[in-house]
Amino acid sequence: MADPAAPRSPFAPWDRRELPGLFTVEESARRVGHYAWIEMRLFEALGGWVATVPELDVKTTLGRHCYHHAWHAELWHKRLPELREMRPERLIAAPNAALEAFVAALTEPEAADLTVEKLVGVFRVLLPRKIAAYTYHLAATSRITDGPTIRSLGFILDDETTDWREGEMLLQSLIGTDEEVARAARRQAELEVLINRAGGIAGPGSLGAQPAPSTVGAPS
Amino acid sequence: MRKSFPASDLARDSRFRRARTEDRFEDPRNEYLPQGRRPGKLTPERPDAAHAARQMMHGIFVGEIQALEGAGRTVWDFDDTEAPFALKLDMARQCWDEARHTEISVKLGDWMGTGIGEFAETAFLYQAACNPDPVLRLTGVNRALEGLAIDVFNTMREFGQACGDPVLEFCEDWMLADEVTHVKMGSDWLRRLTEHDPERRERALEFQRVVDKLFSFRGFRGEGEDSPIQLARTFRKMAGFGDAEIDTIAADARDDADEEGWKAPVG
Repeated sequence: MADPAAPRSPFAPWDRRELPGLFTVEESARRVGHYAWIEMRLFEALGGWVATVPELDVKTTLGRHCYHHAWHAELWHKRLPELREMRPERLIAAPNAALEAFVAALTEPEAADLTVEKLVGVFRVLLPRKIAAYTYHLAATSRITDGPTIRSLGFILDDETTDWREGEMLLQSLIGTDEEVARAARRQAELEVLINRAGGIAGPGSLGAQPAPSTVGAPS
Repeated sequence: MRKSFPASDLARDSRFRRARTEDRFEDPRNEYLPQGRRPGKLTPERPDAAHAARQMMHGIFVGEIQALEGAGRTVWDFDDTEAPFALKLDMARQCWDEARHTEISVKLGDWMGTGIGEFAETAFLYQAACNPDPVLRLTGVNRALEGLAIDVFNTMREFGQACGDPVLEFCEDWMLADEVTHVKMGSDWLRRLTEHDPERRERALEFQRVVDKLFSFRGFRGEGEDSPIQLARTFRKMAGFGDAEIDTIAADARDDADEEGWKAPVG
């Protein structure tokens, strides 16, 4: 057995986490507030749609996913006071009017024959954007100082990717004709335009600032 | 998508058949029941036990779909000023639970030999989830509807025990645990949301009483030995019901049965 009195590093040999991160406390809180807002809008919409879709497997899937996003919203709500935001509702907001317009368009379909439109909005437009923004946060923030956010991001990303896969499979099983392929593509394009204008779920910079073009090898 | 979604628009595939509640209760086949004859508690000894159990399981299945839809609509219909965020979280959790119950009920229906659409669906359970006041809706859904679910699941659990059907008993016991949680949520939220508004609490409890009377199906659910669905006192108390409340439900069911004459809801 190793000598218990022998000094050891506080970091295991394989632990390569570093202190630096791109986000200040304030920036992390700003993003978390936007995450909470979009998770709330999503779980509300999924709950509302349950009654409007006739396909039983879609109905139960929406019910299950509704809770997943509610739980994500709860995690972000709880994180805000830990990031020195004592009035969380101040930061729980859309990053801009363009994302509000996107959510209004996303949640518009109601008729029973619009299941494809409902699912495309969630699984081909919003969830990929969420996964992208959360993955960026995970990669960019300090792996030591922002540990609690990272832990939540891990749970949430696991849900999001599993749910995205399930939703995409539902869509593939529902889309059977050329016309349905076109419908899905049209819907995706309409919503992509709107979320692109918003800059993503956390606004411009959802995936970080665009790096300056490299000047290496450029003519002087 | 609209706020507030009417029962007539609930989306279903082609296997489902919708019946009006009044048609089920006024079904002319009821007239062929001898005066005062009641089928009694659901036991394996009843000659129609297999059919009655399958019919009840199909009723549970469509009831779970409607409970899922009702919880989902509560999540969507109210903004944060009308329904607190924590209440919506509970309703979202309930969506997941009811989605599981729907899946369980489909599989149990297969197990018991019935299929989707064999019996007609009425929408009166979902109608309890249409009240525009979130407190009244909560009492209608989480105390009256989910309270009924406690009674039904306990009845089916006991039927599974009596039949020696471990699959039925096992599944009903799990669903019963969830329903106790849902009723407890309803009891807790009713207390919290009306803490400083006794008049609103009174209106909510009155609404619950009306819904509970409807859900007693003129004595189909009650404490008499002849009631196919038995009031599950122990589990109701676990979920926050007081003795006096349960006494009232039992008395209302008894009065309705005596007054109207018991009629089975057919289909």
